[in-house]
Amino acid sequence: MVNVKIDGKEVQVPEETTILKAAEKAGVWIPTMCHNELIEPYGVCRLCSVEVVRGKRSRVVTACNYPVRDGITVNTNSEKIKWIRKIIMELMLSRWPNVKVIKEMAKQLKIEKPRFESFEKDEAEDACILCGMCVNVCKDLVKAEVLGFANRGIAREVVLPFNQKSDKCIVCGACALVCPTGHIKMIVEDYKGKKPEFTLGPKTSIYVPTLQAIPRVPVIDTESCIHFKTEGCENCSKVCEPNAINYKMEDEIVEVDVGQILVSTGYGLFDATLMAQYGYGRYDNVYSSLEFEMLVNSTGPTGGKVVMKNGKEPRAVGIVHCIGSRDTNFHLYCSRVCCMYALKFAHLVHDRTDAAIYQFYIDMRAFGKGYEEFYTRLLDEGITMIRGKAAEIVESNPQNNGQGNLMIRCEDTLIGKFREVPVDMVILCNAIEPQKDANTIRRLFSISKSPDGFFLERHPKLDPTATTTDGVFIAGCAQGPKDIPDTVAQASAAAARILSLISKGEVEIDPIRAMVQDEYCSGCRICNNLCPYGAIDFIVDKKLSHVNEALCKGCGTCVAACPSSAMTGHGFTDAQILAELEGLIS
Amino acid sequence: MKAYRIQIMVCTGTGCVSNHAFDIRDALEKEIAKRNLQNETEIVNTGCNGFCGAGPLIVVQPEGIFYQLLKVTDIPHLVEEHFLKGRPVKKLMYTPPKEKTPIPKMSEIPFFADQTLIALRNRGMIDPENIDDYIARGGYKALAKALTSMTPNEIINEIKSSGLRGRGGGGFPTGVKWETCKHAHGDTKYVICNADEGDPGAFMDRSIIEGDPHSVIEGMIIGAYAIENVHQGYIYVRMQYPLAIQRFEIALRQANEYGLLGKNIFDKGFDFDIEIRRGAGAFVCGESTALMASIEGKVGEPRAKYVHTVEKGLWNQPTCLNNVETWANVPQIIIRGAKWFSSIGTGDVSVDAWGGSKGTKVFSLAGKVNNTGLVEVPMGISLRDIIYKIGGGIPRNKKFKAVQTGGPSGGFIPESLLDLPVDYEELSKVGSMMGSGGMLVTDEENCMVDLAKYFLSFTQDESCGKCIPCREGTKRMLDILERITMGEGKEEDLLYLEELSNMVVESSLCALGGSAPNPVLTTLKYFRDEYEIHVKEKKCPAGVCKPLINYVIDENVCIQVGHGCDICRKQCPDNAIMGEIKKSHYIDTKKCGKCGICYDVCKFNAIHIE
Repeated sequence: MVNVKIDGKEVQVPEETTILKAAEKAGVWIPTMCHNELIEPYGVCRLCSVEVVRGKRSRVVTACNYPVRDGITVNTNSEKIKWIRKIIMELMLSRWPNVKVIKEMAKQLKIEKPRFESFEKDEAEDACILCGMCVNVCKDLVKAEVLGFANRGIAREVVLPFNQKSDKCIVCGACALVCPTGHIKMIVEDYKGKKPEFTLGPKTSIYVPTLQAIPRVPVIDTESCIHFKTEGCENCSKVCEPNAINYKMEDEIVEVDVGQILVSTGYGLFDATLMAQYGYGRYDNVYSSLEFEMLVNSTGPTGGKVVMKNGKEPRAVGIVHCIGSRDTNFHLYCSRVCCMYALKFAHLVHDRTDAAIYQFYIDMRAFGKGYEEFYTRLLDEGITMIRGKAAEIVESNPQNNGQGNLMIRCEDTLIGKFREVPVDMVILCNAIEPQKDANTIRRLFSISKSPDGFFLERHPKLDPTATTTDGVFIAGCAQGPKDIPDTVAQASAAAARILSLISKGEVEIDPIRAMVQDEYCSGCRICNNLCPYGAIDFIVDKKLSHVNEALCKGCGTCVAACPSSAMTGHGFTDAQILAELEGLIS
Repeated sequence: MKAYRIQIMVCTGTGCVSNHAFDIRDALEKEIAKRNLQNETEIVNTGCNGFCGAGPLIVVQPEGIFYQLLKVTDIPHLVEEHFLKGRPVKKLMYTPPKEKTPIPKMSEIPFFADQTLIALRNRGMIDPENIDDYIARGGYKALAKALTSMTPNEIINEIKSSGLRGRGGGGFPTGVKWETCKHAHGDTKYVICNADEGDPGAFMDRSIIEGDPHSVIEGMIIGAYAIENVHQGYIYVRMQYPLAIQRFEIALRQANEYGLLGKNIFDKGFDFDIEIRRGAGAFVCGESTALMASIEGKVGEPRAKYVHTVEKGLWNQPTCLNNVETWANVPQIIIRGAKWFSSIGTGDVSVDAWGGSKGTKVFSLAGKVNNTGLVEVPMGISLRDIIYKIGGGIPRNKKFKAVQTGGPSGGFIPESLLDLPVDYEELSKVGSMMGSGGMLVTDEENCMVDLAKYFLSFTQDESCGKCIPCREGTKRMLDILERITMGEGKEEDLLYLEELSNMVVESSLCALGGSAPNPVLTTLKYFRDEYEIHVKEKKCPAGVCKPLINYVIDENVCIQVGHGCDICRKQCPDNAIMGEIKKSHYIDTKKCGKCGICYDVCKFNAIHIE
């Protein structure tokens, strides 16, 4: 530790601390223009010049990179320092008169008009002031080393190599982040892909994927993390006190032996970009139901505030039901939950804003316990319910480059008139649909699907949790759209079914089943894919097929198909039957 | 070695080579062969002789007869008379200005007689491409002495007590630097030779390398041995010095062949090698941190030196960087002792390493002086002696005005301070500096505002642009100076100029910015009246700033002396001169482009500047 005196204030700091940091500790403000905690001090703006007195010698140094030494006295506000700062600010102001940070700094240092005139004057508000922060963050932190300086002296400028777009740029945006004037901007070019789910507000490479998860730990998105592209950055590990960041951790596949499986893989959300008339993905303030759910969540990007992309509160909100459901072009079925969550959304918006709320519905299906009462309550709250599916959503002011309000057009079937309702924000009630990889899961467990694509239960009334594969059960929206109480009920039932088998400790199987006579099996594997119950495996080292007795239902498909007659019913081999026949005849 | 009756030392320094020294040598070879003298004479290509103003030149040994300003057509006569008949040719010898008798011997010519040679002691005496020549003159004896009979600490103490200080301009005591580097923490350390001489008109380092590369290499090996843990040295040379690079390459190869570099030097278990790194020629790369960045392959930009390079230099390892001339002094100190070295020069370095300037300094004398060239003078000699005794005074009887020391960022010293001794502290006291050794003499025909502008335009152009004071400040200063020389100066400009200069000096990141305003500051200090005339009267007293002058024909002289010769009218590119042959002429100032051709062509001095 060393003792330093800054503007008369004694402060004790560790060795190698810069004057700037020591001054911060002493509560002394030193102006800076090219300093950022993320990068090594660069010391080019010279605004942080201070006078260091050591014995009889006094010299001007830059506070950002001068390491303190024991017993030095620092003057940050002497006449000489004020004079240096004044001229530097005059030089900057004369070259970049309209840059906000410079104007503000000049104001703070009480400098009004520069005495000099610059031939290189750049009057842009977002001019590059050559502070070098972008170049240094790219070099020191990101380690991509894409940005650099070209030319020397007064002609110095920040450039990409050969002034071309560089392949080495990982588009991390660090340069734009540190740029004090906004000279560097991030532009989305030719983005044609689907708008990904859950991208409300800024997202970093480290995030908590599921806020309600236990343990609630953040993960690193290796696709966007700078470290996984350039091996640079590692800023998170610098700030993580328990030292918990591990860059070497990889995805693991864990194999667990189990006797029974409950498939509850949930649902996917209908992609509303397929219905272009609703403008989802085109208009800023058209949200899917899950996006809005995220927005109103108190752990969401706005802390639960209902605001538009521009940060303003909406004046009117439209909630459009049945997007993709009850629709002959997409899904015939009713998603069951939308009416109720639409009402919940309306209630929340009403609660948090002064916006007018419009619901566009085909039928209100408030069928559950206490649901109809909630609907009635909302009508009392003053929600406008319009019976009629919204036909399209358009911009009411298209000249204004997407900044205008939205307009929902529909037919109000109760009054029999065409209506146009201006709103600021639209929430789409997207249909619940099977997960995209539902078919892969289905094949894995040899279970069937109903025509709508959801997993098929063994019997809709008598066995709604089991499947045709023994030991595999289903619950929740994987089986079909349902709300939370129904899901919980079904899952509890499935759990009880599973527990009853576990407590028994063993399973009874039917005696009628197929078996492979190993000496005849040629290993052709015809039977493997034919078995509707997934009961036949192929043992690779023996090159033989094998029947899983617990799964086999004794249907005989494999017996009929086996070309070498190796597959027979257990206890029903040809020899046994013939012997039985002979016995009968004799 | 074969002995010859006559040895002809042909200067093949860059200056003489560009004046066709190789043609002279070829002609000599041809003539000697023609007269069958090849067994008695040897032609040696030497490095720069120093008297560049007299090139191409040869020195005939053993008598040491100096022939200057040679032309190929002179050679047959010279060979016939001198080498065959033994009669030195007087008309090719050096005659001092204002005198009639030529001085035959080089050592008696004032230019050489008043010099003290340490760094340049082998100039013109050896073939720089032959290590045997260097060894014959006592080369590598210092290395042998240092490695076999001295400990590293003894070497450092010897250098310390000699009072040798950095010849690159900073004047940091070399021994102290070595000692700090030795004590710095680091497993690998480096030594670097800074041969990135960037000052326009300065060629001390180049001449040393071209004339005696081994002295630098020897100094570096001794330094590496003394600092310890140094196994790699770098020589940073600019690409614009191809001959220097070539001579270094040859010298390094020869030193390697002789076991003076490489593994286990002198069986002392000391490994050391030197690599050449070529710079692209940016002026700022002569700054130590920028130079190291350049060696590392990064952009040559300086960094703050609050942590010194002897502690964290090249690749963040302790690094000892010295200038060419500093390294070249080292072997002589080791051989002849610190006492001898410190007996030359000013002050006392036995207590304070900064207490004096010891040894000699090489200057490249240029500008308005009769004998231009490279001179090595003892520290403490007065500027007057350098200019008038060695330099032979100002040509054409013009009046001396100022001398600039230290290259483009040095200050101008006026006549009143000419008795100032050459000393690090004395020179900086008056606003100039030792620098790496440029010395530019100006006379009454030089405009100080214009000169300040010229040098500032150089440093401004060479500024790397990293920090604001240097990048923006020097440009604004240059704008003001340009305005003044255009006749658009305002009274407050001088104050702005002074304020900006002081701020750039105070707050620049590196020494380039810290010293760039020196020419402006010193001219403002010593020649303020000249600035004021420019600003207030819109006139240039020296007649240099074109927008402020007019060419006028004195009609009386024109008609009476020149009889209206009409040459000026014919030459004028702007057709601004009116008149015809045998009649008086006059200049139409509206048309005149102020090119000055008429002034140059008038044989009768009828044209003058107003």
